[in-house]
Amino acid sequence: MSKPKIGIFGMTGCAGEQIVILNCEDELMDILKLLDIRSFHTAMSKNDEKCSLDIAFVEGALVHPEEEISLKEIRKRSRLLIALGTCAVWGGVAAMKNEVSRQRLKDIVYGSPGRIFKSIPAQPLHSLVKVDFSISGCPIEKEQFLQAVASLVHGDIPVLPKYAVCTECKINENTCLLLEKSELCLGPITIAGCNARCANCGIPCSGCRGPVEEANIASEVEILEERGFTLRDIYNQLRTFAGPAEAIQTHLAKR
Amino acid sequence: MQIVKLPKQNLDKFIKSLSKFGQIYAPIKKDANTSLFSKIEDSSQIDLGYNRTLLPPKKYLLPPIDSMFRFSAEAGYEEVEHGVDEKSILFGVHSCDIHGLRILDLVFSGRYVDNHYFTGRKNTSIIGLSCIPDDMCFCRSMGTDFVENGFDLFLSDIDQSYLVRIATSLGDDMVRASQSLFKEVGKEEIEKHKKKSNEMQKHFKTDIELYNLPEIMDLEYESKTWEEIGEKCLSCGSCSMVCPTCYCYDVFDELSLDGKTGERKTRWDSCLFEDYALVAGGTNFRSERSARVKNRYFHKHRGFVAQYGKPSCVGCGRCIQSCPAKINVVEVITKIRSDAYV
Repeated sequence: MSKPKIGIFGMTGCAGEQIVILNCEDELMDILKLLDIRSFHTAMSKNDEKCSLDIAFVEGALVHPEEEISLKEIRKRSRLLIALGTCAVWGGVAAMKNEVSRQRLKDIVYGSPGRIFKSIPAQPLHSLVKVDFSISGCPIEKEQFLQAVASLVHGDIPVLPKYAVCTECKINENTCLLLEKSELCLGPITIAGCNARCANCGIPCSGCRGPVEEANIASEVEILEERGFTLRDIYNQLRTFAGPAEAIQTHLAKR
Repeated sequence: MQIVKLPKQNLDKFIKSLSKFGQIYAPIKKDANTSLFSKIEDSSQIDLGYNRTLLPPKKYLLPPIDSMFRFSAEAGYEEVEHGVDEKSILFGVHSCDIHGLRILDLVFSGRYVDNHYFTGRKNTSIIGLSCIPDDMCFCRSMGTDFVENGFDLFLSDIDQSYLVRIATSLGDDMVRASQSLFKEVGKEEIEKHKKKSNEMQKHFKTDIELYNLPEIMDLEYESKTWEEIGEKCLSCGSCSMVCPTCYCYDVFDELSLDGKTGERKTRWDSCLFEDYALVAGGTNFRSERSARVKNRYFHKHRGFVAQYGKPSCVGCGRCIQSCPAKINVVEVITKIRSDAYV
C-alpha cells in the first residue's frame, strides 16, 4: 500500500499547530514512515503545490481574501480536510472582535498603514469549505494529533472525547475553581482533550479548545453571573477563542 | 462480630503494622476544600475528619482509564497484566462508600462477571471509619449511614479511642498482628459508642423520602420537572465522575503509529454525555439533555430498585457538591414527589 499523501497548511494563526507537529520529536520518524508529506511550508523547502492529497491538515483562521482562494484550492485537491487548532475550528482569537468592522479595527490597531492591506472578519474553515474532521486546541494536544494520524492510516475517522473539561478535571481530583474558588472557569462548556491542563495548575479554564457540541451557554452564563461576574467579562471570555461558534452566537443574539 | 478497642495514641503504630498487609491508601487533605484518597506512608498524613473525598474509592477498583488488551494484525490480542497480586488496604472508608463498593460488586457479579474488577476487589481490604454528616449527607435516608458487611475492620470514633468491629478473618489477622495495641471493650465504651451514634443522628440536616418512589417516578415520567433540570444541566459529567456507584465506561482503541498494533482501553463514561446513547447509523435515542437527566435519576432510583431491590444512590452528597448548575438530587426527588401530589 502506498503511503497517504499529506499536506500541512497554515492560514492566519500563530503556526502553533505546526510547531506541535514538529515537536513530536520521538514520533517524527514513525510519522515519516507512515505518511508521504508533500507540502509543509513551515518545515520543508521543496513543496508540491499541485498534487492531489489524501489528507490536508489546515491550521489558522480565514482573515484575508486570498486565504479563501487558497483554502478552496486545498479542498479541491484533498480527499480529507482536517481542521487543526482552535483558529481553524472556531475562528480563534482573531475572531474575538468580529462584531466590530474590519476598517475600524485596522484603524485602531495599525493607524493609516492599515489601509494598505485587506482583512475580512475572521472565520473558521467550515464557514467556507467542508471540514471532514476537527482537532481543536490552542495549541492542539500532541497526543490527539498522533492518535488522529494513527486512526487515519488505519482507515478510521478518529474518535476524540466529546465531553467537557470538567470530566477530566474531576478525574484529576482538582479543587473546583468555579464552585470552591468562584473563578471564571469555562470548564463545563469547553471540550476536553487537554486533560484539564490549566486547572491542574490552579488556573481556570479559558475555553481555549472551544465549546462542546451541545454547550449550555445560558446555564454557564447564569452560574457565572450568580458568582458576581459581569456580562461584559463573561461574554469577553466566551468570545476570546470561539466567538463565531453557533452556540455562543445564538446565545448572544438572544441577550 | 467481635469488637475491640484501639486507643487513639496507638493508631500510628497500627497503621505501621498494617503495611505488612499491603499498600495503604487513605484520605488526605489536598487543600482547604478538598480531600482525596491517596497512597500514604504514615498516619500523620491521614485526614481523619474528612467529610467526603472528591472521587470515591471506586477509582482504585474501576480506574478512570484502564487497559483491556493489546492487539496486533498478526498476533491477535494479548491481555494486559494488571498486577494481580498487589495487595492494598483502603483505610478510612465511610459507611456510604462501603455501600457504594457493595453496589459495584452487585453489578459486576451479575450475568457477566467482571473478573478484572474482582481481582482488584479480592486484593483490597477495607477499613471503615465513622463520620459526622454535613448538610449534603443524606445517607440516613438511603439506609447507608450504618454498614454491616463489606469491610474487614470498621473504626468508630469514641473520643479517646476507636471501637473496632472485626468483620473478617483478614481483619482478625490485622488485629492479631499487633495485639498489644488493642484493649478489651468494656461497658463504658459501649455506652460511649451508643451516645456517639445518637449524636451523629443529630447532625443530619438533609433527608429524602423514598417511600413509593419508583411508582411516583413512573407516574411523573412526563413531568415538566425533567425539562426544567435539562435546561440547567451542562452535561459536564461531574456528577457521574464523583458518584461512588456510577460504573459506566466507554471502550475505545488507542492505535499505534506503526499502523498495525494498538491497545483497547476503557474510560469512565456518563449517561449525561451527548453521545452516550448515540448508536451506529447516527441515531441518538437520548439526544435531549432532559432525557439524559431523567435517565440518570430513573436508573438510580427506579431501574436499579427493580433489578436489585434497592436504589443505587448511597447519599454521599458528592453530586450535590460538584454540580456547577446546583442540581440537587434531594431537591429533584422532593420536586418529583410534589408533582405527584397535585
